[in-house]
Amino acid sequence: MIPIEYFLTLGAILFGLGLFGVLSRRSAILILMAVELMLAGVSINFIAFASYLDTDAFSGLIFALFVITVAAAEVGLALGIVLRLFRERRTSNVDEASDMRW
Amino acid sequence: MTDIFGQTLNLNYGLLLPEIVLLLSSMLVIGVDAFKRQLKVSGNVPVGLALSGLLVALALSILQVNVDEDFARLVQIDSFTSFFRILFIAITLVIIVGSHEYIEKSVSHVGEFYGLLLLATVGAMLMASARELLTAYLAIELLSFSLYIAVSLARSDQRSGEASLKYVLLGGVASASLLYGLSMIYGVTGATQYHEISAVLSAGDTGLTTPLLLGLVLIIVGLGFKASAVPFHMWTPDAYEGAPIPVTAFLSATSKAATIALLLRWFGGPLLPIASDWQFILSGLAVATMVVGNLVALQQVNIKRLLAYSSIGQMGYMLMAIVAVGSGYASDATSAVLVHLAGYIITNLLVFISVTHFFNQTGQEEINSFKGLAQSNPYLALMITAGLFSLAGMPLLVGFFTKFILFQAVVSAGHLGLVTIAVVASTVSLYYYLMVIRQMYLYEPEDGTEQWKLSLTGYLTTLTLFVSLVVFGLWGTPLYAAADAAASMF
Amino acid sequence: MLKRIPLPAQFDRIIIGGGITVGAIGVPLGIVLVTLVAFGVISAPEMVFFVAAIIVILGALGCVLLPNIVHAALSLTATLIGVAALYLLLMSEFLALVQVLVYGGGVVLLLLFGLMMTNAQDDPVVTDGSQKPFAFLLVSLLIGTFITLLLSGDWGNPTAHVVPFELFGERLFREFALPIIIVAVLLDVAITGALVNVHTASNDLPEESE
Repeated sequence: MIPIEYFLTLGAILFGLGLFGVLSRRSAILILMAVELMLAGVSINFIAFASYLDTDAFSGLIFALFVITVAAAEVGLALGIVLRLFRERRTSNVDEASDMRW
Repeated sequence: MTDIFGQTLNLNYGLLLPEIVLLLSSMLVIGVDAFKRQLKVSGNVPVGLALSGLLVALALSILQVNVDEDFARLVQIDSFTSFFRILFIAITLVIIVGSHEYIEKSVSHVGEFYGLLLLATVGAMLMASARELLTAYLAIELLSFSLYIAVSLARSDQRSGEASLKYVLLGGVASASLLYGLSMIYGVTGATQYHEISAVLSAGDTGLTTPLLLGLVLIIVGLGFKASAVPFHMWTPDAYEGAPIPVTAFLSATSKAATIALLLRWFGGPLLPIASDWQFILSGLAVATMVVGNLVALQQVNIKRLLAYSSIGQMGYMLMAIVAVGSGYASDATSAVLVHLAGYIITNLLVFISVTHFFNQTGQEEINSFKGLAQSNPYLALMITAGLFSLAGMPLLVGFFTKFILFQAVVSAGHLGLVTIAVVASTVSLYYYLMVIRQMYLYEPEDGTEQWKLSLTGYLTTLTLFVSLVVFGLWGTPLYAAADAAASMF
Repeated sequence: MLKRIPLPAQFDRIIIGGGITVGAIGVPLGIVLVTLVAFGVISAPEMVFFVAAIIVILGALGCVLLPNIVHAALSLTATLIGVAALYLLLMSEFLALVQVLVYGGGVVLLLLFGLMMTNAQDDPVVTDGSQKPFAFLLVSLLIGTFITLLLSGDWGNPTAHVVPFELFGERLFREFALPIIIVAVLLDVAITGALVNVHTASNDLPEESE
């Protein structure tokens, strides 16, 4: 059997790589993709806990299902805002959208 | 009905009537607004629908004040919930009545705007009433999503889209961090119900102290973003500046209060058994927030940014009280936070609604555009002055009374050092509030002394808020009694 | 005789380049893993886990490092499909299905559309922020801390169990009816948000003469 630690480690790595993407990318859409990576790491955690430690109540599975849904909704919402910004300024880079200081 | 384990589930939807009414009226507002031409209704119908929905929901929440029941073990309708329900509905009511001229004039998509404000109110109400992690998380997202969009709705203002983008990206990262933290709590305790988590954690050593600590830190980071605690406050000034002014008021009132409600539910409930682990983190955050918020406010030239930093500073005082909750004074400290929260919200709304009306007249939001307001509109100048003095904590106004109670509660929980810093920070804040007041009273207006007046609803809301500011400042018993009742379940 | 379908030159390059990369990494790794299983060092499920984990990590690295945004989006797909494989290893078929449908089918498509309508219009190659080395340092420290903290806990020696499909559905729709309502409202908010942002406001349009 696969030890649960394997999954937790992978979740942590995915979360960290996503954070790296958020910190290093400039394009808003690429940042969104990095946030998706972070959320994938979180979902792995929830599902691993649910099927290893909480098999009777499996709340983690339900949690992960909702996380996936919310993440998809967030992408749709944020893309709308990115498109609007792009129409206004012809850029989707967050550091070029800087009428106000970051 | 029973769940899969054979336990009874209370599915009494009557408990959620205020939320349901608000949801339905928001859908109705958006729908009617979308088909305005076809239905041949006047422009006032959407705002009328929104207001009547809010009034019905307010009445229903007042009817449920004495209820103490759970809905499907997901939300708990108790005195704490009722306090926040009434607070949140009142905030939205005041904002809509007080700034509907601004909304009609300077907000694109008016119908959607009202609908989103109602939905954000529902999210905030659920945040205060959740008793289970998944429901709490979804409520946070409902509030945040509505606000991401509401921020982007300022008409013909490029800053609006930018503010919204920053808010949505940083908010997404914050949610991810919060979720990772929640997954750790779930992994360690195997539960998502608050009372089960509390039971597992107070039972003693789980052998998983380090993962729990990791989860705790990530939860605090995530909520720190939502509460705009320093160093996670970067989005706050930009979102406040780019948003339409009513949304800024909403961000500074409902969004902050809902986060505080959630913090109280979590740190006064499931996470209380491990208070020694989070107290020092929160103390650090509180100190940084008070100091940085108030110091950076000194350099601001835009009134919305100034109020943003001032609200960050105010958040620091309340975080300090949550540290006190962990020291075994849960009930006292909670009631002090609630009193301060109510006083802060009354005051902040007065300032924001006055600023909204100033913007309606002049189209300016720089601090030096307030020059000579005491001559061109002495009433509004008096309102802003009263509000700012109350924020700074001057005696006779509600801000003094609530701050006094808050600081006293923290001192009696044994955190004298924190309170000393808070008092110093509070003195600093007086300076930047006075800078605005100086502009209004000591300078001549730049473009003549033409007098102007507010609209009727403008007078109505500012006067109501001003009266409650003074009355609660002199006689705070009703406020205190309400907060005490709400905090009795801790 | 079958005619060769004319494909854009770039497409050829992607297929050949991708094939060579996957082959160069995959074949030696495959040989190593199969040898390890053959000698009993790791079990067969563990081997599957490692294959999926390698796909996930390489995909994630590609997603955050590749300068061409379309390539980055495609390697995000690889990661998300790999994650679905992990869900299968965790015995939750339903979530693996949802993951593939929602992410592979929906989110990535949406992101690609977004990219095509903004960055990729003129030039699909982006430069990253100058804080990249600093971010790398910070994040490696962070990942190290996370893993240390996670592994120093005593998780016991649990095994994964299958959750029956019917039980999952029953619990979801009985106990968690309220969250489903909230999520429905949330999706409604997201749609409203996307609409109001891409549509010009009706009160910003010139008045129609009626």
